[in-house]
Amino acid sequence: MGPIAVRAWPADDSDVSAAELLTTVQGNLDHPYSGYVEAQGTLLLPVADRFTDVGELFGSSTRLRVWWRSADEWRVDRLLATGETDLIHNAQGTTRWRYEQNDADLSHDPDIRLPRTADLVPPEVADLMLSDAEPSEVSRLSAARVAGRDALGLRLRPGARQTSIDHVDVWADADSGVVLRAVVVGKGSGKAAFTTEFADFSPVTPPAERTRFVTPPGADFEFDDVLDIADAANQYAPVVPPDRVAGLVKGPASDRAVGVYGSGATRLIAIPLRGREAEPLREQLRLTPGVREEPQAALVMIGPLGVALGGSGGDGGWLVAGTVTPDTLLRAVRDLYRGMVIVGDER
Amino acid sequence: MRALTVELHQLVRSRRTWVTILLIDLLPTIVAVLLAVTDIGPRPGTGPAFLSAVLTDGTLFPLAALAIVLPLFLPIAVAVQAGDAIAGEAQQGTLRYLLVRPVGRTRLLVAKLVSVMAFVLLTLAVVAVTAYVVGVLLLGTSDAGQTTTVSGTSLTQGQMIGRTFLALAFALLCMLGVASIALFLSTVVDSPLGAALGTMAVLVASTLLLTLDAADVVSDYLPTRYWLAFIDLFRDPIHWRDVIRGTLLQAGYVVVFLGAGWANFMTRDVTQ
Amino acid sequence: MIRTHGLTKRYGAITAVDQLDLDVREGDVYGFLGANGSGKTTTVRMLLGLVLATSGTAEVLGRAMPRAGREVLPQVGALVESPAAYPRLSGRANLRVHDALAGGRRRGRAGRVDDVLDRVGLGGVDQRPVRAYSLGMRQRLGLAHALLSQPRLLVLDEPTNGLDPQGIREIRDLLTELNAAGTTVFLSSHLLAEVEQMATRVGVLDRGRLVLQESLEVLKRPTGRTYVRTPDVAAARALLDGQVEAYDEASLLVRVRDVAALNAQLVGAGVRISELAPEKHTLEDVVLAASSAAGDRFDRDVPRVGS
Repeated sequence: MGPIAVRAWPADDSDVSAAELLTTVQGNLDHPYSGYVEAQGTLLLPVADRFTDVGELFGSSTRLRVWWRSADEWRVDRLLATGETDLIHNAQGTTRWRYEQNDADLSHDPDIRLPRTADLVPPEVADLMLSDAEPSEVSRLSAARVAGRDALGLRLRPGARQTSIDHVDVWADADSGVVLRAVVVGKGSGKAAFTTEFADFSPVTPPAERTRFVTPPGADFEFDDVLDIADAANQYAPVVPPDRVAGLVKGPASDRAVGVYGSGATRLIAIPLRGREAEPLREQLRLTPGVREEPQAALVMIGPLGVALGGSGGDGGWLVAGTVTPDTLLRAVRDLYRGMVIVGDER
Repeated sequence: MRALTVELHQLVRSRRTWVTILLIDLLPTIVAVLLAVTDIGPRPGTGPAFLSAVLTDGTLFPLAALAIVLPLFLPIAVAVQAGDAIAGEAQQGTLRYLLVRPVGRTRLLVAKLVSVMAFVLLTLAVVAVTAYVVGVLLLGTSDAGQTTTVSGTSLTQGQMIGRTFLALAFALLCMLGVASIALFLSTVVDSPLGAALGTMAVLVASTLLLTLDAADVVSDYLPTRYWLAFIDLFRDPIHWRDVIRGTLLQAGYVVVFLGAGWANFMTRDVTQ
Repeated sequence: MIRTHGLTKRYGAITAVDQLDLDVREGDVYGFLGANGSGKTTTVRMLLGLVLATSGTAEVLGRAMPRAGREVLPQVGALVESPAAYPRLSGRANLRVHDALAGGRRRGRAGRVDDVLDRVGLGGVDQRPVRAYSLGMRQRLGLAHALLSQPRLLVLDEPTNGLDPQGIREIRDLLTELNAAGTTVFLSSHLLAEVEQMATRVGVLDRGRLVLQESLEVLKRPTGRTYVRTPDVAAARALLDGQVEAYDEASLLVRVRDVAALNAQLVGAGVRISELAPEKHTLEDVVLAASSAAGDRFDRDVPRVGS
């Protein structure tokens, strides 16, 4: 949030068409940059222990410093009032540095994982939402000043009927094409569910030293075989989900127990949870205002984000979450139970 | 400047000054002792900045001590000290005798402000030195002779000292902002307690509004908004954004409130 | 030394001091009389630049106040309304602070402080803090403050407040002595007797207005009547028929200016005289004649004047 005077400065617009702008944005998804990002989520997810970090990402404001050399070399620091939690990605993998805990964890950045801070920077949000958008789905918005730069506006109205997202507005830097601001608005709501924008931005390639990390003396270092609960389920759960649920196709990265379906703004993830993981989440869900208890699953919509948990009472179950409508979510749960294949003993 | 000399003289000779500094200094010292005895750091995301890090590196304790005293103790002391500046003299009846001595009104105001800042400087110095000594003695130094930044990189001792002084300067500026508000109120009301409480009310309101999303539009202009931004000086590279904004904001508060205080005091009837 | 023209101070709708034309001359002991709330203190504060006048001008030592305060005030010693000092410091330490503020050099400071303490009768005071002082001691310390810079003009507001008769006498002697040595004294007081005993000139303030300003000598001029005390009242009345204005069983008041002639006439007629004196105006009569009701009285529908 810059001083009012700066924000009020009129932005230079351009007469580029929506389709052209979409092409520019999609073509610049790996453009290098660095800057300072403020993200504001308004979605209060029902969180239980192993999902706490995700809940924070979508439900509070996050301050990030980003140095992006390429998809293979980047660093995203989450700034906290009392420290930092940083992700440094390079050839070794992804290192998470936590100042307050004084530890560094290295992991092999799995494709299947829970959302993390690095997913909140505007270009990443744009990547997630716009990567396969069609020209017919986009229109132009007037330009805006973001981080003191002229940014051209583009609105995506996803065509898929399954999606719960009404529209996604992005503003891309007029010079570099990098997305500087992204706003996600759910169906049936006039308010932004999630906003992320640069407050300081530079399109210059940051120095290589930014993406190197050496564990400081005295700090703990660990290698994590398992990054998070999604990664764990993906590696060890003895099931394979079907190739298609609720009319959405499973993505190519989903070759094991966790399924990621759909694309762009219409996406859901299905994670098989064991009883002791599912139960606390089920408890939380029950306490969440607006929860729907269907025979096959408990379901709640938090803004455009739907969460459903199949199974009941002490059993494990499929956790399905995504930017889809409640009906799609329920259909997905039903399709999962119908179409999953048990692959024998735990691997 | 005679008034300034006299003010500073009174400041260092006053028992109240030293008792206040001692009380402020006591809190971080107690914290250091507790940390050393129990070896339990605060849970992540809670407690003052740097407090978790001092368990491995006692030389960081001056910063933790700064984070401990800056949000509450120090501003209260500054509000009391600066609130007393003019209103205290007025209430005692000594203001009229100072003015007919004569001490110029502008000079008196400047002398009072400088004296308050000298108090802050003195307090910060005492807190920093005690915290360093206590930190090293009770919590030990890190083995490497280097300090880890918040971002996980290493700083040499020289860089560390430089950044610590920057942090102290920033804290000093924040307290100058508080002093300006209190000094302004001190020229408005005739009760030093009223001026101090008024200042504290402003600070408490500011702190409260900062936690409120609805107050987002004004949050960047609240006096306490950037107080704890000094931690950004210990990231790598230094995250200047909030430090610079904090500096400009405090400068704004100083100019506005000192200006208002001066204008008010210059045109005010001294009837006390 | 002090000269004001149309000096006025209004607090909102209340006029505390109204069109004041003061004239205090060098060498005067000027008695500034007025009831409580008549505007004396406001006037004193305006003279010293503490209160800013609504309109009118004030000159002190020939310079405009408050503009020339930095040049004027070092030559003025003041006791404003009541003495005040830092309660935690001793009287000596308080005086040292003021000496430093007045620009006195460090060297000789102790001597100057001791000197004024001696003058006000606090020479032997110990190191106890001012908050432990009695009212009288505070008053003396306040005077010491005023005397510290060896002023040409002393502006004193109720200087004998809180002093016992002995103390009042000492202060009076001190002021008389200072005046004799050339110091002009502006003495604001509501005590008629105090002013009558010391002042050479008198100004009377009533509800913010200066109703009288005259030398004490003129004010206390003879009334043109003579007071006769005699055991032979009847004989005297018979002799002075038509000139007696009042009488009782032991005295008469006679409208005669020439006391010597009256004496000769009475003695010649065999009237025994035990006392014979020209009647003079008293300050009290003059002041009461010039002023209205007491300032701290609240009568219905009478506009109140603040201090």
